[in-house]
Amino acid sequence: MHVEFLGVSRERAGVAEMDVQADTLGHLLGTLAARMPGLAELIAVDRLHPSLAANLNGDCFICDPETPLSQDDRVLILSADAGG
Amino acid sequence: MPFGYHGCYLRIDVSQGSVVGDPAGGRVKQQLVPLADTVLRQFIGGSGLGVRLLLDEGCAHLDALDPRAPLIFAFSPLVGSPLTTTAKFAVVSKSPLTDRINDSLASSGFAIAGKSCGCDAIVIVGRAPELSVLIVDDGEVRVESAADCAGMTCQATDTQLRARLGTNFRIATIGPAGELGVRYATVSHDGRHAGRGGSGAVMGAKNIKAIAVRGTKRPEWAHPRELIAISKDLSRRSFGPATAKYRELGTATNMLTFNRFGALPTRNFQSGTFEEAAHLSPEEMSTTRSKTRDSCVTCTIGCEHIYGVGNDTVRVEYESLFALGSLCGVGDADVVLRASQRCDELGLDTISTGGTIAFAMECVERGWLDAPWLTFGSGGALLRAIDEIGSRRGLGHLLADGSRAAAHAIGQNSIAIAPQIKGLEMPGYEPRALQTMALGLAVGARGADHNRSGAYEVDFSDKVDRRHATLDSVRHAIDTEDRAALMDSLIVCKFLRGVFEDFHGETAAMLRSVTGWEVTADELRETAVRIVAAKREFNLLAGWTPDEDTLPERFFDSPLPNDARAHLSRERLDALVVEYRRQRGW
Repeated sequence: MHVEFLGVSRERAGVAEMDVQADTLGHLLGTLAARMPGLAELIAVDRLHPSLAANLNGDCFICDPETPLSQDDRVLILSADAGG
Repeated sequence: MPFGYHGCYLRIDVSQGSVVGDPAGGRVKQQLVPLADTVLRQFIGGSGLGVRLLLDEGCAHLDALDPRAPLIFAFSPLVGSPLTTTAKFAVVSKSPLTDRINDSLASSGFAIAGKSCGCDAIVIVGRAPELSVLIVDDGEVRVESAADCAGMTCQATDTQLRARLGTNFRIATIGPAGELGVRYATVSHDGRHAGRGGSGAVMGAKNIKAIAVRGTKRPEWAHPRELIAISKDLSRRSFGPATAKYRELGTATNMLTFNRFGALPTRNFQSGTFEEAAHLSPEEMSTTRSKTRDSCVTCTIGCEHIYGVGNDTVRVEYESLFALGSLCGVGDADVVLRASQRCDELGLDTISTGGTIAFAMECVERGWLDAPWLTFGSGGALLRAIDEIGSRRGLGHLLADGSRAAAHAIGQNSIAIAPQIKGLEMPGYEPRALQTMALGLAVGARGADHNRSGAYEVDFSDKVDRRHATLDSVRHAIDTEDRAALMDSLIVCKFLRGVFEDFHGETAAMLRSVTGWEVTADELRETAVRIVAAKREFNLLAGWTPDEDTLPERFFDSPLPNDARAHLSRERLDALVVEYRRQRGW
């Protein structure tokens, strides 16, 4: 699937977006942590730090590591604290 | 008297006494009024205490710009403590923009110096005989002429008065907009603003250009050792990931996020996406111009990101970028930064300025307003409109009273597209895309407000469907409103909210260490409800009616372009508001 980074996650990832192969949210986050050291401190095994949130296709927010993902999905990683 | 307080407020009638021809300044009528422990415990400080005092003044029926209408600067028990982000003060009055309650907050040294004058609040009534600076020097009050500051910007006034009075005074000023009664004029201090609702116009109506404070009276803390331990722990956590967004990018990073979610108000809320949003993002702006950071006194977060534009620097926030950028269709970062800077100088609330100009731009587009120069996307028009508002010249005279008043003057049912609730221009949250926030905006006591309702946080979570609010959204909206009321009364910065693991328990411990009260988390929950209810009580006395708790018609007409799911019916919002009142017990 395609991953988009917004805000702090983009700063830490060093890229705005990328393609990743993963079946679940937990698998995706584990892969990102392994590939991107800057992002790793904001990922605890298969979960995001509470300061970040994951969104599926611009629709629903997801946090369960078992959430299934498909090849056509777009996962957005953004600051949980979205306002200000 | 509890620790952490002085147990009194200073009431000043600036109409008593004369400053004319007296180089030493004139005496004014001042009174130190005791504050009961029960009042302090029930309303804490800041917004809560200010609203309580405003109710006690019995002024809700007065016009906001009537000299008898009070303007209140309220401090808090945590001010002056080592707790991070607590150097804040509330400015409370009736709003000349909404005719409802207005409580605006600003930060930095004025809060500490003001409280050091030996009072927990300063209540100002009356009208000085000439443009004046009100000086509170360790509790002694006098007024001096500020005729030499007439027409000066906020920053120039501060510089002028510090040169005259001494650099150890902390000064809150109004700009030309406040002097001229622009109904969304700010009170400015140290480059920051008590921005919303027009408290600057209230100060201008009192002929007070500036308030200068200094003092030596510091209340003692009940449990200093415990307080210092809590402060150190909070500061340590404030350096962590929960505040990284503010530290690393600032609120401006919302620009790309909101645009991605179709929630970035654009061209007077005609769209939720802006094709030039990237130009206004910190990610792009920081590659093309200089950037530094700053923070309020006592703050460990450092959320202020200051960008270079020409030879100047401008403090940048999301709300200013959205209001003067996407909302007006302007994507030129230089222009938007200049516009924000100009608002700061004139003492104008950037959200209401941008919202009112964007409304006028759409009226021109529809042929309802004869000002062909004022078009979406024109940076020159934006800057011209700001200057005309700040000087109440030309079209600025119409726009200086806000979009609601302008709509009533224009007619054509233009009120349907005026981006305001209760007269206060809407912040940068598209309500069709963020529907729990839509409820929070609709019911807000001071009007459309993102600082008194944090309901958008719920929309950006798995707790609700952001594009289809249900009755489950109501409890979340109430919780965020209550939490904001508490933070604004303690006072602690809302950017700390992600740092707390047990917000009520931790803030109760802070208050306990300062005051000595055996306050609990549950008591603070009740206090928050009481403060929200007090704001409603003021509004009821001021003439509030239930039909004010809604959104402009435009939001019910159609879904957002490019997002058919972002549709909010009037019936759905009405049902949410009814449930909100039921859960509030109103």
